[in-house]
Amino acid sequence: MAVYRRGYHRYQGPIVGHWARFMVLPRFAWRRLFQQRLVVLLTVVAMIWPLLCAGFIYLANHADLLTGLDREFREFVSVNGRFFLIFMYVQGSFAIFLAALTGPGLIAPDLANNALQLYFSRPLTRSDYALARLLVLFGMLSAITWIPGLLLFGMQVGMSGGWWFLANWTLGAGIVAGFAFWVLLVSLVALTCSAWVKWRVVAGALVLAFFSLLSGVSLMINEVFRVTWGHVLNPAWAANQLWCLMLGVGPVAGPGAVECALSLAVIIFVLASLLARRLRPVEVIS
Amino acid sequence: MNAATVVFQDVSKFYGEVLGVNRVTLNIPPGITSLVGPNGSGKTTLMNLMTGLIHPDRGSISLRGISPRDPERLMRITGYATQYDSAPRWATGFSFITTGLLLFGFGRAEAEQRAWKALERLGLTEAAQRKVAAYSKGMRQRVRLAQAIAHEPEVLVLDEPLNGLDPLIRAETIALFREWAAQDRHVIISSHVLQEVDVISDQVVLIANGMIVAEGEIRNVREEIHERPSQFIVRCRDASQVASVLFNEDHISEVRLNDDGSGLLVMTRNREQFSRLLGRIALNGHRIDGVIPADENVDALYEYLIGGDR
Repeated sequence: MAVYRRGYHRYQGPIVGHWARFMVLPRFAWRRLFQQRLVVLLTVVAMIWPLLCAGFIYLANHADLLTGLDREFREFVSVNGRFFLIFMYVQGSFAIFLAALTGPGLIAPDLANNALQLYFSRPLTRSDYALARLLVLFGMLSAITWIPGLLLFGMQVGMSGGWWFLANWTLGAGIVAGFAFWVLLVSLVALTCSAWVKWRVVAGALVLAFFSLLSGVSLMINEVFRVTWGHVLNPAWAANQLWCLMLGVGPVAGPGAVECALSLAVIIFVLASLLARRLRPVEVIS
Repeated sequence: MNAATVVFQDVSKFYGEVLGVNRVTLNIPPGITSLVGPNGSGKTTLMNLMTGLIHPDRGSISLRGISPRDPERLMRITGYATQYDSAPRWATGFSFITTGLLLFGFGRAEAEQRAWKALERLGLTEAAQRKVAAYSKGMRQRVRLAQAIAHEPEVLVLDEPLNGLDPLIRAETIALFREWAAQDRHVIISSHVLQEVDVISDQVVLIANGMIVAEGEIRNVREEIHERPSQFIVRCRDASQVASVLFNEDHISEVRLNDDGSGLLVMTRNREQFSRLLGRIALNGHRIDGVIPADENVDALYEYLIGGDR
């Protein structure tokens, strides 16, 4: 038996907190993502619509600029729930494209490089890893969804005054909550595709296909069975119905907000389960 | 039970209906321990279990008193290098190791300093700023090792760490393991290269079909294998005369003369009697230049206890 000499000392220096360690992954991912021209380009393009909306708000709050114009047009230029609904619909679509572009590169390379073992050989749990990846997308998509939405809301409050805010604060809450739900769903779709499909292009196409195929399937069900409940299978339609409720806009004919919320919750649960199933540090023989 | 040991207590792991490891009980002291066994025997499963990457279906594991179910504490004392490529191809050697250290919670300055030190130890400083994608197989192996040692862990778990290394780097790496182990730390490796295992290991764990076949110091394990005669090489000048004396003993099962006439390969079923016999032979005027055990090595243990393909 060898004789050992304890010649080392455990590290006794400062260690940063859990959240600081957790943020290492998103920080690196964001830096890498914004080095891609297409990502930057799409993010910039996604800002055009909020800028136009900002112009619209400015116009709506300067009645003197509208004098002499058609009365119907002047009535059209008003900032209300429907205005923010249209804003959300456009930005929500951009969110899908941005997720399809950025999401596939988040998990697939780690799986291909057997890097999960490496991550989990650090003080990092599976849920930490999944949350960190989710945060990457959540952060990116936030930049084009609820953040500009909230800025527009703030601009409107600034121009219309406190009374407008008191009467319409639910719009602000609706924008944040509605987008948060949507961004979570879109991020999960992108991450799940990234975890299950090795090739980025295919995974990106799958993200787009997820939304368009489900939309097609829901329409087909409605047509074949002459029903309207097929809409709950279309995440975009279901989210839109929820947004209508949150922004106080009359709902579209079809399943109610509760059914839509349940449907979206089921989709999110299924996606999260599929993701968790793939995020294993070792290959499991079956 | 010593707190500074790696303990497996009746551990079983099944992948569905496929056996990973079955009822493994081990007590690994500090030093270099080699896990030896054929492909699919459960070596990597044991390593994944001790690093908490998978959890046992039954039994318990403790690394120096810490459960693998507590990754926050466990990973501070554990360094793991897998046998597969795990460095992202976009990263440079330096950024790869620094990122890992940041995940451990070191501040940036501390992380960078440690990353350099680890790269220096593995002779990778010149390639530190090159992308891992441009590394050779041996360099990628070294960068994996560097990330495992960068935070100075007490338990180093290395899956096939010597694969792909050229002889010089291999020797330096083995020296690193020895230095590590000499400081009361664990170096647990798996390897297919039995000659190397033999040279570097303080103890071995032989595993086959998910079950531990033997564990301990190589010599002690060999002594426990009674059904196989022990083999010794005896160097002497009058080999044929010594052989004739040996043949008269019951415990000697076989004697082979070397072609040069100055040595014998002796097989005995009783090591103690053989030892006494050699003493008598020497006292009777035969000059014995040396006695070397011929099968106190992992190669022989593997053949005796596991056999088959390696």
